[in-house]
Amino acid sequence: MIELRGLTRIYDGVPAVDDVSLAVGTGEIATLVGTSGSGKTTLLRMVNRLVVPSAGTVLIDGVDTATIPVHQLRRRIGYAIQGDGLFPHRSVAQNIATVPRLLGWPKAKVDARIDELLDLFQMEPARFRDRMPHQLSGGQAQRVGVARALAARPDLLLMDEPFGALDSVIRAKAQADLRDIQQRLGATIILVTHDIEEAVRLGDRLAVMDRGRILQYDRPARILTAPATPFVRELVGTGERVYRLLSLTAVADIVTEGEAQGSPIGPQTTLRDALAECLWSGRDALPVEGGGIVTLAALRAHASQAPE
Amino acid sequence: MPRFPSLLAAAASLLMLSTPVLAQDIVVSSKIDTEGGLLGNMILLALRDAGLPVQDKLQLGGTPIMRDAITAGQIDIYPEYTANGAFFFNEGDSDVWKDAAKGYARVAELDKAQNDIVWLDPAPANNTWAIALRQDVATENGLSTMSQLGEWIAGGGKVKLAASTEFVTSPAALPAFQQTYGFTLKPDQLVQLSGGDTAATIAAAAQQTSGVNAAMVYGTDGAIAEAGLLVMEDDKAVQPVYEPAPIVRAKILADHPEIKEILAPIFATLNLQTLQSLNGRIQVGGEPAAAVAQDYLTEAGFLH
Amino acid sequence: MVSRPALLFAALGISGLLLPLVQFKANRIAAGDGINLAAAFAGGAAVTALLGVALLAACHARWPAWLRLAMAVLGMAAITLSLGFAARELSAEAGKLARVAPASGFWLVLTAFALMLADAITRLRLSMPARWLLLGAAILLVAALLGSSILDQVSVKREFAVRREPFLHEARTHLLLAFGSLGLALLAGLPLGVAIFQRPEWRGPVLAVLNILQTIPSLALFGILIPLLGWVAATLPGATRLGVSGIGIFPAMTALFLYSLLPIVSNTVAGLAAVPGPVREAGTGLGMTRGQMLFQVQVPLAMPALLAGMRIVLVQNIGLAVIAGLIGGGGFGTFVFQGLNQTAMDLVLLGALPTIALALLAGIVMDLLVDLSREKGRMP
Repeated sequence: MIELRGLTRIYDGVPAVDDVSLAVGTGEIATLVGTSGSGKTTLLRMVNRLVVPSAGTVLIDGVDTATIPVHQLRRRIGYAIQGDGLFPHRSVAQNIATVPRLLGWPKAKVDARIDELLDLFQMEPARFRDRMPHQLSGGQAQRVGVARALAARPDLLLMDEPFGALDSVIRAKAQADLRDIQQRLGATIILVTHDIEEAVRLGDRLAVMDRGRILQYDRPARILTAPATPFVRELVGTGERVYRLLSLTAVADIVTEGEAQGSPIGPQTTLRDALAECLWSGRDALPVEGGGIVTLAALRAHASQAPE
Repeated sequence: MPRFPSLLAAAASLLMLSTPVLAQDIVVSSKIDTEGGLLGNMILLALRDAGLPVQDKLQLGGTPIMRDAITAGQIDIYPEYTANGAFFFNEGDSDVWKDAAKGYARVAELDKAQNDIVWLDPAPANNTWAIALRQDVATENGLSTMSQLGEWIAGGGKVKLAASTEFVTSPAALPAFQQTYGFTLKPDQLVQLSGGDTAATIAAAAQQTSGVNAAMVYGTDGAIAEAGLLVMEDDKAVQPVYEPAPIVRAKILADHPEIKEILAPIFATLNLQTLQSLNGRIQVGGEPAAAVAQDYLTEAGFLH
Repeated sequence: MVSRPALLFAALGISGLLLPLVQFKANRIAAGDGINLAAAFAGGAAVTALLGVALLAACHARWPAWLRLAMAVLGMAAITLSLGFAARELSAEAGKLARVAPASGFWLVLTAFALMLADAITRLRLSMPARWLLLGAAILLVAALLGSSILDQVSVKREFAVRREPFLHEARTHLLLAFGSLGLALLAGLPLGVAIFQRPEWRGPVLAVLNILQTIPSLALFGILIPLLGWVAATLPGATRLGVSGIGIFPAMTALFLYSLLPIVSNTVAGLAAVPGPVREAGTGLGMTRGQMLFQVQVPLAMPALLAGMRIVLVQNIGLAVIAGLIGGGGFGTFVFQGLNQTAMDLVLLGALPTIALALLAGIVMDLLVDLSREKGRMP
């Protein structure tokens, strides 16, 4: 759906983004991971032309974005950033209505869309529609920022460290919510993050960037089990990688027949959480809600499937 | 008037050739002081009454502003003082200014030649530095001129003068009077005030503060009459003669030559006492200058 | 338990009560005698005592703010009415030329209660609508006092009475000078501020030039403008028809305009710079054009800083416009300089008091507007 071809951006003779090519399919989430200065944000901002490429093209559904008037382009692409950037002088509803109003939507349609999005983000419209940004908590503000990005039903959503300002307790929930919403809306997302954990959790495909280049662009499991360069291996971390790998699969995938003792776990629990529960409660097998068990042995087997 | 606000002076040399301004109206102006308001309003009312198109820009500012404005053609006519010619044309040392007729002739000649400005007939009133004595003292001793005053003081007459420091020390002022009229004031016969405020000196003489019975004044000061003082005539012409006269741009006069005939009779009636009393109504009585001018012209029959 | 501010007010007020309330002069340029409130009219002694007691009583810390407010208003009204009564009684026996002018005592007592009023208002922490209401009530009260006949014999009002039309004319001119120059400065300064905000490399030079302009003493600037504009009017064809002139309102307006540029431009830049980075990033990223960003996001958020700049300019120019009286530009300065020339202080007051009142009013209204815009903008 969106293809980046040979994108380069040079500042003062130094390439911040160096000949990057990648493609993201419709309905996929692609995460750009890297340390600060790796060029991931610059790359993202070249998609909606907040940064003009020194070379290369961006194709959305086969159309070169350079041929589209830039404001029109941006109104078709959702953009959510760290620190949400909500307009402080406008209410939640007015913030969300930004792009629809720029596009000239009729008032009734705008109002309906606002309510729809607030519902989607579990914020009761009657309570939140007229609130001002300074009256929202960090998590609420972040959700409104994403809602604003989605308001005009863009096919593509760009997100730059959208969860960076949230504390860890709500960050996990926010990430889960995003997955949920993306699946419901079928949006294509490119998300920039410096947190490998988040990238693994959210991305259908990960692009690891360092010094303006893409080192590896693959499914998370492959990145974890077969890092292409030492930098990637270091990024995924030898200590954490097995747990991250386990977090990619749900218990439902390896459930087997049998009986086990103690409180059950849900079928969508990740293998990582299942392993944690086994160790914590000292059990070799856990009953799964709805039938079946998952064994510690099966967990170990799955974990050590990773070849080095 | 010999007072010159220094701040807006010298830049006049930057100035403009007077390209005449295409205005229908005759722009009548005046200085911002009391007498300026009075005379300016008289000119305005008289010209308007005669059917000429006039524009009111009265009480504009100090002397430098007036000169800048008229030579630039921004105003057309305003009342000026003859002895100011000494400053305009840098002839301060000349004695011609001490003679009313000669001073008038000189400034009229120079202004016409250099600036194309015509001086119309002046009023017979000398608005210059003078000494005014309490009326009762003057009557009692038969004093009306500086010569008589000088004689009387030298003969032991009891006088106490309130004056500004400038008046007391400036060679052209008190020292000049003393030399010409043959008297000397001792320190205990003087009360020196810091500013040049003649209202204060006049008030001192009026109320006999500290025994003051004489005051430094300008000849036509409005407070003189009310305070019951009499200006001692400068019969030996020690001070330059500042007679007010309307001055007008030559072109305007050429367009409307009747201006001369309209204003000449009016100014002819404005002697020292008349000006003192009219100025008095404005300054002491608080009446606005326009009303006083209107009253006077109507009563004297100059307005139809 | 003593309220320290109230102690100050009491000290000021009581000294004022002991000093002369009015100057009783033989004519408007004479010196005059001071007359205390206690001796000024029948009942004057009682009023003096009451006011003194009120001032002392207010020193008690426990007084609630609304009581202080009421006491301050009553005190200011009382001293003003006393001025009026004193003038009336003293003038009744004197001649037509005599004048009764407010003296140091009046001003001190008025100031003491005015400070008490300001203190009380601050303590009350009123809501925005309440503050507007209070301002409206104050204006009505002052208008009523001035419009009534109570103050008719006070010297300043007598000066006004003989020059009603010219006063109104000069008032209009003064407002034109103050607001006109503000308007022109906004017209020129806002775009300039936006321009140098968007091009940081211009900021230094432009602000430096404006800074230099600001430091030129006002009389000197008027002095430069008069011959300069006079030359322009004389040499440039059609300039005079446009109103260009070396004297009168044109150079005055020009000078005021030049003095207004720095506050407007620098506050515009500061206000725009205060818009948070994420807000600008988001706005642009969502697809707003430069114009839309400017008018829908940046300017509204910069409004508090902008209004603060306008406040500076307005209050500054109301005062500065007095100098226009020196060059025939009109405004209240006309009376100030005529009064100085005639050594009639009452005429000077006729020019000075409205100027002060106008500046105060402008300051208060603009402060309210700044606070209003801050509430609406709610910048983090």
